[in-house]
Amino acid sequence: MGFLRRLQQIAMIGLGVGLMTSAALAENLRVLAWDGYADQDWVKEFTDTTGIGVDVVFIGSDDEIWAKIKGSAGKDFDVFAVNTAQLQRYIQADLVDPIDVGQLPNQKGVLPRFRDLEAVGGVTSGGKVYGIPFCFDSIGLIYDTDKVKPAPTSMSVLWDPAYQGKVLAYDNGEHNVSFTALTLGYKDPFHLTDEQMAAVKEKLVGLKHNVLTFYTTADEAQQIYQNNDVALIWANYGQQQVKALQKVGAHVAYVNPSEGALAWLDNWVISKGVRDKAAAEKWIDFMLSKKIGGELSERTGFGNTVTETDSANPNDKLVWLQLVEDPLKRSDLWNEVKAAP
Amino acid sequence: MTGTGSARAPTRWPRRLVTLLAFAMPVIFILVPLAIFLGYSFFSVDHGEIDYTLTVANYVRFLSDPIFLPVFWNTCVLCLSVAIICVLLAYPAAYFLTTLKGRWRYMLLMLLMVPLLMSYVIKIYAIRSILGLNGFLNKALVSLGILQEPSSLFVFNMNAILLTLTLLLIPFAILPIFLTLERIPPILRQASDDLGASAAQTFMRVTLPLSLPGVASAASFVFVLAIGDFLTPQMVGGVSGFTFGRVLYSQFGTAYNWPFGAALSVALAAVVVTAILLGERFGRNRGASV
Repeated sequence: MGFLRRLQQIAMIGLGVGLMTSAALAENLRVLAWDGYADQDWVKEFTDTTGIGVDVVFIGSDDEIWAKIKGSAGKDFDVFAVNTAQLQRYIQADLVDPIDVGQLPNQKGVLPRFRDLEAVGGVTSGGKVYGIPFCFDSIGLIYDTDKVKPAPTSMSVLWDPAYQGKVLAYDNGEHNVSFTALTLGYKDPFHLTDEQMAAVKEKLVGLKHNVLTFYTTADEAQQIYQNNDVALIWANYGQQQVKALQKVGAHVAYVNPSEGALAWLDNWVISKGVRDKAAAEKWIDFMLSKKIGGELSERTGFGNTVTETDSANPNDKLVWLQLVEDPLKRSDLWNEVKAAP
Repeated sequence: MTGTGSARAPTRWPRRLVTLLAFAMPVIFILVPLAIFLGYSFFSVDHGEIDYTLTVANYVRFLSDPIFLPVFWNTCVLCLSVAIICVLLAYPAAYFLTTLKGRWRYMLLMLLMVPLLMSYVIKIYAIRSILGLNGFLNKALVSLGILQEPSSLFVFNMNAILLTLTLLLIPFAILPIFLTLERIPPILRQASDDLGASAAQTFMRVTLPLSLPGVASAASFVFVLAIGDFLTPQMVGGVSGFTFGRVLYSQFGTAYNWPFGAALSVALAAVVVTAILLGERFGRNRGASV
């Protein structure tokens, strides 16, 4: 009976398609990352070589990652990127899973300073590895070479009345308190006493009067730079921002302040709610390949942990970000600064 | 209510099921989440963990801390200004629309609504470019000789928020005003004309009073939309344009202090509900006298 056979065929095809799509849905790796960490061609290459589909969600701030991961108790994502300072918070809240470095062949080939993960600081806890560093940069100062002369060497130039209304600052209480503490000469900018905190607040209110506005993303800063008279940018996105600005013809240069530049180090971590841990580890290992590392630095200007780049100048003093004493206190302080007349 | 009649007839239970469903939807999707939210405002947060013991500390903090009430008040004033400006600009536009005949009227109305099709964020970006120091507005004013040099008056302050919100929300003011103006029977105006009233008198004593319900709902619409917005102030407000929406936003993102954010939202919701009730009440009173 031709008809019955035909029906059977259709049913089989239907079943096959159904199984395939459900398999694809179950396998899809859910990645939460910053723009530039999961470019489309890499995702495609990863899917082509491993057969694992990837859904990427991009985020715009550390706080957003925390809200997303904490809000879903880690169940909404398998792998995400977070910096050393933030990672401890996730470990304490039991939102991340330990990583078996043995599953990451490429970790053996990383640059010497990232080889001993215990020594990197902040990525391990209780002898277990929770984060695999893959990308870093300093948070320096971008200055317009036509408007700022001589070239600045310290963040204190942001308070210079000569640049009133020409300063672009970043909208984040934690970093602003830390860098201001460095500018004030405090040794540990991440753990401040009450007196130091008060001094920092006063200093930040002073900064506010020199600032044109606070930005959140690099694109936003660039747009504001193009439409307004901006001389100095507190560069949360470091090299990435410099590159983008130079690309559109801006006469800008970058400097790591002499009092020490805050610097971030981003890691891939596996969330507690991971569905397929092997797939997550494959993603991390893939990101640690020399090809991806090189391309990441080429495209973003960030330093990577597998190939040498210009990002880390041996003479620059970099202060790796740490967990601050009380994020809530700093966020309240930042609101007070913003609300201050 | 007709509830007693249907309760006595057992054959009507499918209908009662439908009624139940009709009530269940808003209860599950609106009232329950709001109640949970209200509940959250009585919790507290300790080192990134929500503490579920009941407390009014969040409300005490909102009322006693010197930063929140002034920001709250300033935001209300700002949004009220936006509502007033929107209505003042929208009224003539809506009135003009009603004077048009046939197809033109709706074509033009559609054109005025076109901005609503665009992404909100893109509009804010575009407006910010226009308002910037090297933006279109400054270039135009300088080339017209109105300004000697570009001014930073239009961006990254309260003025910028006012301007941007007005631009974004004006379609929401035009629509209700247009609808009420359109519904005024032409006979009333003709009667006023026949009885010897001038055009201005007819407008002041017939058209304007009859259109006030639309004005009221337009104003409350715009006010509610403006006060709930945090993105516009965040993007064009700069260092001096600090609004309540931004404080609220920071509680959910930066601070991860959901309970306090919930308490602030309750305060905001109270204002919003008041605005809606005022708009509706005012509209209905006037409507009844027609």
